[in-house]
Amino acid sequence: MTRVKITLGGVHAFAELDEKDAPKTTAWLKSLLPIEEQAIHSMENGREVYVVLDAPDRVPDENQTIYQTVGDLFVYYKPAIFVRPEWPRHIRDLLVVGFIYERDSAVRGIDGALATNLVGRVTEGIDALAHEAPRMRREGVGEMRNDPA
Amino acid sequence: MRRLVFELGGARAVAEMHDDVVPKTCDAVWNMLPVEGMAIHANWSSREIMLHLHGDKVLRLPPEGPPRRGTTAPGDIVYFWRSPQMSRGKQLAYSAEFQRELSEFAIFYGDPAAGGRAADDPARSGRDSNLQVTTLFATLIDIPKDFAHKCEDIRHHGLQKLIVKRLDQ
Repeated sequence: MTRVKITLGGVHAFAELDEKDAPKTTAWLKSLLPIEEQAIHSMENGREVYVVLDAPDRVPDENQTIYQTVGDLFVYYKPAIFVRPEWPRHIRDLLVVGFIYERDSAVRGIDGALATNLVGRVTEGIDALAHEAPRMRREGVGEMRNDPA
Repeated sequence: MRRLVFELGGARAVAEMHDDVVPKTCDAVWNMLPVEGMAIHANWSSREIMLHLHGDKVLRLPPEGPPRRGTTAPGDIVYFWRSPQMSRGKQLAYSAEFQRELSEFAIFYGDPAAGGRAADDPARSGRDSNLQVTTLFATLIDIPKDFAHKCEDIRHHGLQKLIVKRLDQ
């Protein structure tokens, strides 16, 4: 079982990757580690924090759900309008990896629920993330780093 | 038509009130101005910032005007009140006083999620039982780019001071 250390601002947590049900996405994600990017708080999905990734090849749909829950770690294509202030000319969605840290969340696209590749679960430290993310909403959002654990 | 001005980090935007549609709400808002506070960015409703009203500025107004379901447009200024009986989960990003009952101005500065439906927070009801009130009471005449960028900045850099004043003729 591959574990990933998630560092958000001043706290960290650990996630276990679901390599059995999401073999392609987890393999792809592991190949990118460590990831260190500016974290962004969701403005449309509730208690979601994510980073935007640059991947030339399309990540395949795999182990998808529209019923995300607290602690889910997922990968999906987010409509660009939720990331950038204006629609970019040629890019309509952006690849993101993110997690849900609290209930009252649902990943949505332009016109309804959006399926996400469920790649793992935060198994340790979700409470720390659930306090750090709201603090960042008030005081400014920092970086998120994902490392092999 | 009475006008309001919103000042945020050196940028400003002007809105016209909908006196002809929701006169009582407009009167209540007008009479409590000016108001200022720290605006926070939405995390459900897409391109929206919120000013939570507190102390003697809290407004508890009944619904007024046509039922507001469905779409929200850029520039909408909405009075929102949520009963303390309504749950929004933990609101750790809000000051403690706003974590249950909430009285606020919602300022939509750009394209809302889901064609505007997300701004209606469809996962919750309460409108029909008056447990929440959403009244569109003003609309920005235009949305200056610098004002929109200041709103976007709140999302990344945290709370910013927002001042709402009467724009006297």
